[in-house]
Order: sequence, then structure tokens, then C-alpha cells
Amino acid sequence: MPNRIINWIDRRFPFTSFIKHDLTGYPTPRNLSYWWNFGFLAGFVLVLQVVTGIFLAMHYKADVTLSFDSIQHIMRDVNYGWLLRFMHATGASAFFLVIYIHMARTLYYGSYRAPRELMWWTGQGLLLLLMATAFMGYLLPWGQMSFWGATVITNLFRATPFIGDQVVIWLRGDYGVGDATLTRFFSLHYLFPFLIIGVVVIHLIALHTVKSSNPSGIDLAAKDNIPFHPYFTIKDFFGLGIFLIVYCLFVFYMPNSLIEPANNIPANPLQTPTHIVPEWYFLPFYAILRSVPNLVGGVVAMGLSVMMFAFMPFLDRSRIPGGASNRPMVKLGFYLFLLNMLVLGYVGATPPTNRTILIGQIATLCYFGSFLLIPYISKAEERWLIKRGLAPEVQALIESEARQIEQAKHPHSRRAGDIA
Amino acid sequence: MRKFIVLLMLCFSVLPVWAAEAMLENAQVDTSLPTIERGVEDLMNNCHTCHTLKYIHFRDLAKLGIDRKKIDEWRGDQTMDASLTSMMSDESSMQSFGLVPPDLSLMTKAREGGADYVYSYLLGYYSTPDGEIKNHIFPVTKMPDPLGISTTTDHAQREEIKKTAHDIVSFLSWASDPHEQERHRMGYYVIGYLVILTLLLYFVKNQIWGRLD
Repeated sequence: MPNRIINWIDRRFPFTSFIKHDLTGYPTPRNLSYWWNFGFLAGFVLVLQVVTGIFLAMHYKADVTLSFDSIQHIMRDVNYGWLLRFMHATGASAFFLVIYIHMARTLYYGSYRAPRELMWWTGQGLLLLLMATAFMGYLLPWGQMSFWGATVITNLFRATPFIGDQVVIWLRGDYGVGDATLTRFFSLHYLFPFLIIGVVVIHLIALHTVKSSNPSGIDLAAKDNIPFHPYFTIKDFFGLGIFLIVYCLFVFYMPNSLIEPANNIPANPLQTPTHIVPEWYFLPFYAILRSVPNLVGGVVAMGLSVMMFAFMPFLDRSRIPGGASNRPMVKLGFYLFLLNMLVLGYVGATPPTNRTILIGQIATLCYFGSFLLIPYISKAEERWLIKRGLAPEVQALIESEARQIEQAKHPHSRRAGDIA
Repeated sequence: MRKFIVLLMLCFSVLPVWAAEAMLENAQVDTSLPTIERGVEDLMNNCHTCHTLKYIHFRDLAKLGIDRKKIDEWRGDQTMDASLTSMMSDESSMQSFGLVPPDLSLMTKAREGGADYVYSYLLGYYSTPDGEIKNHIFPVTKMPDPLGISTTTDHAQREEIKKTAHDIVSFLSWASDPHEQERHRMGYYVIGYLVILTLLLYFVKNQIWGRLD
């Protein structure tokens, strides 16, 4: 009977072939390390955020006079409301942590390179959507940091040429952040996750077209690919277990460490907090914003700092396949870049003093400098590595890629011996 | 290796920030029922005249197990659903202090340093040589020394005041996060379950991957 139903469906919808092609039998490189778990984890956190968010929205009230109280109602009176709220608030941090590791893996192993540019760019779009969703969600508790964070960030749109002031009013729905801002942020905070799901589908379709990259950076022969199920389902579930242990340690034992104390004070438009700080995941970009003394320059620098990643496929011009493991200079650059991110994060978290402003400006220069130097470094490194001698499989791959490019240029050319 | 040295240096550069917080005295919050009960009693005697606890209702106290007779005494003719509202109207506080005293429901979560901050603040009052009373934790405070620590010199009495501050802060910690104990208990089971599950998944993973040569 079940077979007959599945047959009935299969004649009308590619159910079995989809499962086989994209889930159970999806060919996956067997040498993937645990760094390749983070895409799956990001998908899991997305579902977690949507589910907890939907239940929170049943009790939350988007109204400046009620929202702070409704959060306390959730925390105190709703059955397990505290659990939902802490899971959602911790989940936001977990989402960024997982995504940043996912991005760092892509950078380290050079997974953004051909033919995976579209994966990288859809990923970049997902990052922007995630940042927008997190930013709008942060306003909803209507605490002091929610209000002033939203005020500072919407105010940045004053940098728009000619119509800056109008854009800010249009975004806020009022002259200042107020009820109109809160209700539209709530509406969009509910909408954006579904856009994210849509882009994730595109991201996955692209993935299943180009297949996963792998630590060696070399396309593996068919014998080195193994079916996704059961090998990677079980590996992902094991990784998920580790992730959930860390996540639950935060949810159950230190959920307040991720909530700014000032956000436990209801928003007060007449009283600016002494020190406005964004959440940890925005700190490096916030530091870049503050490092440029002029508003327009700061906004452009901050926007560029997020968008710089999209240029990676163009900046990295080396023909050496794979990532940092084959390329010592890229490896060094990668670690220095991470270190620089930590410095920027520290600068973003501290109140501006002469010393931190200077450190922030140097770190900002290093940030953009490391992107702009990549074309030269990657070419110099390529020459050096070729001179030193490459491993035979790396050599073979470079040659086969060169042939493909040649063929793409002259699709109709025939070589002697080709069958007409 | 060099990376780690730089990382370590970075960690030390954060230390001055911690040092500023380390000036706070450790409140050693104790959320056992007798302490909270003493704490709410001290709060009703010392703080409740001016401060409201909007999110704490008399029924919450009853549910926690506070003596019903005491609750009835505090609430007078208010219902069990009423919050612990201050006896002062906003207008008269504005007249006396120039501001409405902040709500205390979330106080231990709403300040950098948490319960330790509130504890150190309550005990931070001192008399200057010219007879003024000041607070070294929050110098611009408008609250008069509620527990009288600044004018007490007797050691035993000072210890008594410290104990009162400790009990009040313990109650406020409970009030800011009433489900904390439940959360900690539940976390114990959830994480225990996850550790066992993850170990099993690890063994299954090894078994499945063992089929590959």
C-alpha cells in the first residue's frame, strides 16, 4: 500500500528522485572536516529562531506602551515563556556565531572560488538579511539599548545624498523612533526570516549544482564521493549535539550574559545611555563606522566592510587550487585577519578614547588593506609556489582548468582526431 | 605560538575594564526561601515607601511560599493581583527628589555588575568630614542612605546592616529572574540528556564511518 501511494505521487511529482538525488544519495566528498558542519547548523538555528519566534509573537505586543511589559509577561507568567525568550535571544547570537564560522571556513579553504561564486554571493545576501532581521528584532523589547541602537543606526541613513533626512523619516515612520517604528520593525522582523528561507533554498540549489567544496580544494574523483546519507547525516547530527550542549549552557546558565543590562530599563527618549553599544556580532563593523570621523565616510566604510567579502572571487587571482592549506601566505593572512577582527570588536565595545580611536583606525586600515592586497599577494604567492614545485594532482588540476577555459573561449574549434 | 602571545596581550588590555568592576563587593546572593522572605520584609520596611516593583504581585509572593499573614499585612485592602506599588505618588516623589524612583523589579539585571552593584551601592554611603552624605558607587544619587550605613560606626550594627542589604539584594535577584532556580534545575537534565545523546551519536558515527575502507 505505501509503495502504491509513493508510485502514485512519483508519476505526478519527482518525490523519490528528489529524495535520492538531493538527500540520501547526494554525493559528498568523504574528506570533509567538521568545519563543513556549520551550514547544516545554520539551517537548524534558522528553524529554531522561526519556531521560537512564532510562539513569542503569540504573547508579544508591538506597542510602545505595552511591549516592555509584554516581554516581562512572557518572562514571568507565560508557561515556559522564559525558555522561549532566552532560546530566541541566545539563538540570535548562536546564528551569527555559526554563520561567522561558516564564512571563515569558506575564506580559509577558498570555497568562494569558481565555480562556487554564486553560493558565496547568495551567502552574502543571506548575511545582509540576517543582519537586518537581527537589528529589527533588537528593537522589539523596547529597552534603552533597543531604542538608542535603532535611533543611532536609522540616523546613519542621513548620509543618503540629497534625500537623507526624508529617508530617515521614511524608515522610522516618524521624526523619531517611536510607535510607528516599532510596529514596522515587528512586521518586517516577522517577514524577513521567510525571505531568508527563500534565499537559503537558492543557496542550496546552487550547492547541489556545484557540489560541496572540500579541504583539499581539488575536485575529487567519483570514488572519493560518498552518499550524504548515512555518512553525513550522522556526522551532522553528532555536530548538532555538540552545538546544542554549548547553546543550552548559555540558555540555561548564562542567558543574561548576552543581554545588555541597559536593555532591562524601558526605553526613555529623554535619557541617552552613557555608552551605546551594539550586540557583539556588530561590534567590528561598528568600530569601523566610528573610526571614520565624518558621517558619510563612516557609513560608506561600514557598508563596504560588510560588502567586501563579495569581491573575494575577483580579488583572489591565484590559480593554486584549494585554500590556506595549500597556500602559506593566504594562511598567514587569514589568521592576521581574524586577529584584526578581534581588535576591531574590542574597539567597538569600549567607549571611544584617543587610544582606542587610534587603534580602531589602524585596524580599519588593516581590514581594507588585507582585501586590497589579496590580488598582489595571491599572484606573488602563485609564482613562488610554482617555482618551488607543485604536487602532481595540483598541477593536473591547474592544467585541466586552463583547458576548460580555452574550450569555453573557442567552443566550436575541433582538434585533430575529434569525431565530427 | 606568536598568535597566542598576541591574543594573550589582547586579553590583558581588557583587564583595566574588569578592574573597575572588581571594586564592587560580592553580594553572595542566596535565593533560599528564608533569605528571600527576610529580604522582602526588609524591602517593605526600607524601600517600598518610594520604590515600586511593577512586575511583582502579592500572589507571586504567596506562590513562592511567603507567610500569608505578612502578605495580608502588606497589601492591606489591595487584591492579591496588585503589584508592589510604592506608597508615594509620582507627583510627590517629583517634588521631593526631582525624579520618580526607578522600578526595582529588574534592578539587579539593569545595572552593569548586577546584584553586586546594588549591594555595593546600598553599602556605599559615607559621611564626609563636613557632614554631607555621599555614595562612592553612584555619586550623583538622589536616594538618602536607606539603611543608615553612613552614620553607623558600631561594628555589630554595621554587620547587621550588611546582612539586611544582602537579604534585600537576594530578594531583588529573585524578583528580576523568578524562574532562575527552575531554569538551573531543568538545564541540568537537558544538558545531561544532550551529553548522553551526543556520546551515542559519536559511537554510531564511528560505526557507520567504519564501514568505509
